[in-house]
Amino acid sequence: MSPLSITGQSLLARRDFMFDASRGLSGLALASLLAGDGQLRASDDAKRPIRPSVRPDAPLAARESHFTPKASRVVMIFCTGACSQLETWDYKPELVKRSGQPLPGNEKLVTFQGENGNLVAPQWEFKPRGESGKMISELVPNLAALADEMCFIHSMTAKSNTHGPAENQMSTGFTLDGFPSIGAWVSYALGSDASDLPSFVAIPDPRGVPQAASNNWNSAFLPAVFQGTPFNADKPIANLTRPPEISAPTEAATRDFLKRLNARHLELHPGDTDLAARIASYELAAKLQLRAAEVSDLSGESLETQTLYGLHDANKTKAGFGRNCLLARRLLERGVRFVQLFNGAYAMGEGVGNWDGHKTLKAQYEVHGPILDQPAAALLRDLKRTGLLEDTLVVWVTEFGRMPTFQKGASGRDHNPKGFTAWLAGAGVKRAFSYGATDDFGHTAVEKVSTIYDLHATILHLLGLDHERLSVYHNGIERRLTDVHGHVLHDVLS
Amino acid sequence: MTRRFLIALVLASNLATGGLSAERPLLPPATSREIDFVRDIQPIFRARCLSCHDGAKQRGGLRLDLKSAAFKGGETFAPAIIPGKSADSPLVRLVAGLEEGLQMPPEGERLSSEQVGLLRAWIDQGAKWPDEVAGKEDAELHWSFRPVKRPALPSVSRETAAGLRNPVDAFVALRLEEPLALALSPQSRGEGTEGRIVPSAEADRMTLLRRLSFDLVGLPPTPDEVAEFVADARPDAYERLVDRLLASPHFGERWARHWLDVVRFAESDGFETNQPRPNAWPYRDYVIRTFNDDKPFMQFVTEQLAGDMIGVDEATGFIVGGTYDRVKSPDPGLTAQQRADELHDMVSTTGSAFLGLTVGCARCHNHKFDPISQVDYYAMKAVFAGVQHGERPLTQIKPDQHREQLTRVKAELDEIERALWTFEPLARLQPGDSMRPAVQRRTNIDRFAPTRAKFVRFTIDETNGGSQPCLDEVEFFTTEAKPRNVALATHGTKVTSSSDLPGHEIHQLKHVNDGRYGNSASWISNEPGRGWVLFELPEAVEIDRVLWSRDRPADGKFGDRVATKYRLEIGMTAESLHVVATADDRQTFGSAVAPQPARATSNEQDQAEANRLLARQVSLNETLRQLTTLPQVYAGRFVVPEPTHRFHRGDPLQPKEPVAPASLASFGPAWQMPLDAPDASRRQQLAQWITDPQHPLTARVLVNRFWHSHFGQGLVTTPSDFGRNGAMPSHPELLDWLAMELASPKSLHRLIVTSATYRQNSAARADAMQADAGTRLLWRYPPRRLEAEPLRDAILTVCGNLDDRMGGPGFDLFEPNTNYVKVYNSKREFGPADWRRMVYQAKPRMQLDDVFGQFDCPDAGQITPKRTSSITALQALNLLNSRFIVQQSSLFASRLEREAGPDVIAQVRRAYSLAFLRLPTDDEQIAATRFVNDHGLTALCRALLNANEFLFVF
Repeated sequence: MSPLSITGQSLLARRDFMFDASRGLSGLALASLLAGDGQLRASDDAKRPIRPSVRPDAPLAARESHFTPKASRVVMIFCTGACSQLETWDYKPELVKRSGQPLPGNEKLVTFQGENGNLVAPQWEFKPRGESGKMISELVPNLAALADEMCFIHSMTAKSNTHGPAENQMSTGFTLDGFPSIGAWVSYALGSDASDLPSFVAIPDPRGVPQAASNNWNSAFLPAVFQGTPFNADKPIANLTRPPEISAPTEAATRDFLKRLNARHLELHPGDTDLAARIASYELAAKLQLRAAEVSDLSGESLETQTLYGLHDANKTKAGFGRNCLLARRLLERGVRFVQLFNGAYAMGEGVGNWDGHKTLKAQYEVHGPILDQPAAALLRDLKRTGLLEDTLVVWVTEFGRMPTFQKGASGRDHNPKGFTAWLAGAGVKRAFSYGATDDFGHTAVEKVSTIYDLHATILHLLGLDHERLSVYHNGIERRLTDVHGHVLHDVLS
Repeated sequence: MTRRFLIALVLASNLATGGLSAERPLLPPATSREIDFVRDIQPIFRARCLSCHDGAKQRGGLRLDLKSAAFKGGETFAPAIIPGKSADSPLVRLVAGLEEGLQMPPEGERLSSEQVGLLRAWIDQGAKWPDEVAGKEDAELHWSFRPVKRPALPSVSRETAAGLRNPVDAFVALRLEEPLALALSPQSRGEGTEGRIVPSAEADRMTLLRRLSFDLVGLPPTPDEVAEFVADARPDAYERLVDRLLASPHFGERWARHWLDVVRFAESDGFETNQPRPNAWPYRDYVIRTFNDDKPFMQFVTEQLAGDMIGVDEATGFIVGGTYDRVKSPDPGLTAQQRADELHDMVSTTGSAFLGLTVGCARCHNHKFDPISQVDYYAMKAVFAGVQHGERPLTQIKPDQHREQLTRVKAELDEIERALWTFEPLARLQPGDSMRPAVQRRTNIDRFAPTRAKFVRFTIDETNGGSQPCLDEVEFFTTEAKPRNVALATHGTKVTSSSDLPGHEIHQLKHVNDGRYGNSASWISNEPGRGWVLFELPEAVEIDRVLWSRDRPADGKFGDRVATKYRLEIGMTAESLHVVATADDRQTFGSAVAPQPARATSNEQDQAEANRLLARQVSLNETLRQLTTLPQVYAGRFVVPEPTHRFHRGDPLQPKEPVAPASLASFGPAWQMPLDAPDASRRQQLAQWITDPQHPLTARVLVNRFWHSHFGQGLVTTPSDFGRNGAMPSHPELLDWLAMELASPKSLHRLIVTSATYRQNSAARADAMQADAGTRLLWRYPPRRLEAEPLRDAILTVCGNLDDRMGGPGFDLFEPNTNYVKVYNSKREFGPADWRRMVYQAKPRMQLDDVFGQFDCPDAGQITPKRTSSITALQALNLLNSRFIVQQSSLFASRLEREAGPDVIAQVRRAYSLAFLRLPTDDEQIAATRFVNDHGLTALCRALLNANEFLFVF
């Protein structure tokens, strides 16, 4: 959010604040947490950790990146439940050919839910797409049509084969609970240009929250101001609106009365910027109320746009996800720094509301494919035609992949963290490009094996941030999004 | 002759006469493989040598716990280790028994040939001793690894001395006099620190009282307490106040919360399933009790690690207070990783909470900054190898001891509840001046004039949330001296309905009059927001009251589907029913239901009787709670320890050599146990080591935590990292001096808060801000925004609703559901059960409360030795718009009307007294009165609860 309003600024000015943020305001824990803790240890300056200098009165004001960025903002589309690479992006003719035979060398392999049966061909046909001729399945025809925009990483690997820890890793870099999400890191590093919206918005699926729920957007040991604000097109920000029993005039008078209470208090306690910061926070809250309502109101979008996103589709869930995709675009164009858009929820159980196709993959993906496909493709198209894609990075992820075999006695695929696909599109990445590969069956990444750390390092790099330097001190360690790992995938950069 | 001289003489003579070469054939051969000091050599030193050759004791002047000292050798011969020449190294010769009468170790088993071979190979290969594990170097030893020594009280100038109240102030004054001597990190040191900073004057009485109250008990004082303290002219008024607050049971509640942050306590598993741990709360109560009882800290440490051995079962909730991945799999790799993560959490939390060491950093490699080897990490991990997550029975309690008493208590409670119903107001069919209490999830009672009836119909026209209504029971009672419930099916009463929700065994029409309460024996209609049930009695009887509920049990959780608009009709035939009660004369749903005396009759005699019954009810409920909340506790299960191996690069699929339970080699008195040592003795040994008075870290770390909570930042600003990567202490002598005062925690608190340093005012003086904006030199009392818990508690207190009942299972701020992956939806409506202190919230991991979570509540995923303190727009929205605040504002207004009467001026005065502990100025009085006249008292209340004056402590 923006720095102080005019009123807030004048409050600060009147009080003769004589220190700027770089020298440490009298702001309380926030400033000292970010700057004063621990020893910044590093042998040479080039690797010295960088803790962003955060103004206590405007913690979300835009901050400089470490070097010139390619991307100004990010939307991460997260298909939760582990979307099968084999039914979507990773074309394996050998798997079709050897369908029904055992997975060579892995006949006794025990995976997450137990034993595996034989190899099974993809449940949808693959066809060449766009000028590049990239083979993509019929499950996602609308997204497939945009293949020339996409940069695939087919050699992704994850550290865990369990949804919770793996979602944690995809969103926070760590499999354990309690680490800041990538959106929170980016907010912390860069703040935002959105003057009156949160800098990081998490948009849960219309069906509910993902497995790891708020872990995906928590700020953990970063200050709460950097956490993702969760809302979607159907469920607004909690406590956003004036309570029904309070009339508009009473609300205005209350704000005014409160402002006077606080102004008097500030006069008695000059010099402590947290007081002014809190006054400013109420002004920002008022703006947020207006702006969040405005951004969530999709009625002003043209019928053509609404139709593009599937808003009038008879499939209610698809229409709901479509509204979320359109909301994402509206947030991005208003300067929100990081949008995490979820497809899939866990409240309904395994595979029913998400991509966790253990037992009846075909039937379940027949439901999930159409919900994702048209709206997500619409978002990508819309970003392109409005020019936003120039400096917006689109990232499509899922927490891990699925086995090329069916589970023993079932018609679905078990968890597989050894090889899966993610794709990028937009600012700073190659178009119509594929990086890395899995083996002949799409089981294990074998070529240019990539990690979630690498993906995160690359996202930060595109935002102009050095993943080895962006840090916060927590309990003895300069914590990074990428822990002590990660390499920028330079080959995917344009 | 001393042993030392003897060794010297013999060695000297042997070396001189070439005696050594004659003995060589007896020396075991050097091992042929490559030696790793940490893996191969350090364990030998630790197990066999360090008990006589470490920091505590140096027989022969030799130390083997320090790289430099070891290479230097002993007092009478040096060096003891000659790199490249094992056969000539005295160390080898003595342990190999080559010198008669000089066998090392002098007692116990000799070193095996393998061990001697390892030592030889190590020396022959160059005696490589990595610097990371070089040990504590006295000369340049990191400050916190040096023994604690009571420092002399500093001498300060005479003018300074006049302002001192106790030794704390002397140490603080010293630093203020010579600020440049401070070893502060450059970021927190301002520029231009040439001038000396003078301390601030003492704050005024009201400020001191408010500060002390929030600091010590986490609650605001009352206006009466302010008046009393301001008027207290006794010279020791302040000290008396401190003693009173330290003696308050709320002290433990406030300070337990600080500790619960440090040990990542939460009442759910974390990860995706995040299932609740309904029996984790006894640990929280244990911590509260510990602080209230002024338990010596070292005992507190011991109980948390090995309480099962000394009759304090719940204390080991500490060990398993972290996350637990409940998603199990046949995949052995996953299983090994999960177990490694569980134990990692125990090791890291133990290391950071008690020792301020980031032991967890040595999981994959030797610690980068501190002398903690990877083997050290696994040695501590071995201590917990017998601990499993889960519940175990409290051994102190015999499960069926109180069964008979339980039955008796329940029967009496039933009787009392029925008796209390007779004090309920009669239903009227129009709204009036005094409304009946709002409908609630639990028992609702409709009383009416005695009427003969054969039919009773309960019709629902609206529910909260609009879903199909639910009734768990409907009862109607006869007017006889001993009223009977004639609605019961067993009485012969038949029931029909408008519709029934299909498909649920627990939701059936028959449950509405089966005498069973609770959601799992209830009726739900099949129409959104509406439905009816009709009862036909076997014969007409005179009835005068109907009782109904949606989820009646006290511990029931379902507050949805409540009938918020309804009609109760009775009559002799189904066609001739007439209305006897509706919701029209009830308060709006969601309004607070006042405790019963407030709504009981105005008749004084009845009032007295009602009060007597209520008092009895409260006491019986407490007995009931104590009898029923037994006996499992989430404090870990203890089993035969699994073998511990060092994992190459921390990977559980690459186990290396076995590692026995042992101390961290470089801290405190060393010990090591056999590989097969039983579980409990491992934990006891660890506790003994941590609490050893010689241990340099434990006391320092703890007193710093105290300081941190009193002042908002510690003398060391990295409270769980006292290692080389942590911050330097701002006042090292003060820290050590306090560490020596630790015997009684409450005396230590008293010492700190009665100091002049603590009693300073908070003014942000420009000169001092210029030099030390971070207030590390303590030239003022640093002001703070209230944390989430005292903020919520303060709102409840000021609005007159805080339920200060202590202990027991917590209240839940989320709607219940039983999904495999627990879905956390915040409650929309709050009632008195949710108005306890926030430390009693059944705190789920990773899931923060909708209103107060934004105020930097820890999520308990990782430890939180130090909270962040954000100021955000969402906080503002939550404090303005949440149901919680709107409801409390309205109850605050009711309180003001009750206590100040109808006069707005008096109401405003009372409001300021309660919220700000002062009276309004004339200007404020005028503005506030006008505001109330225009917008109502509730609006004023809402504004006050949002004010900086309410949220900041100075």
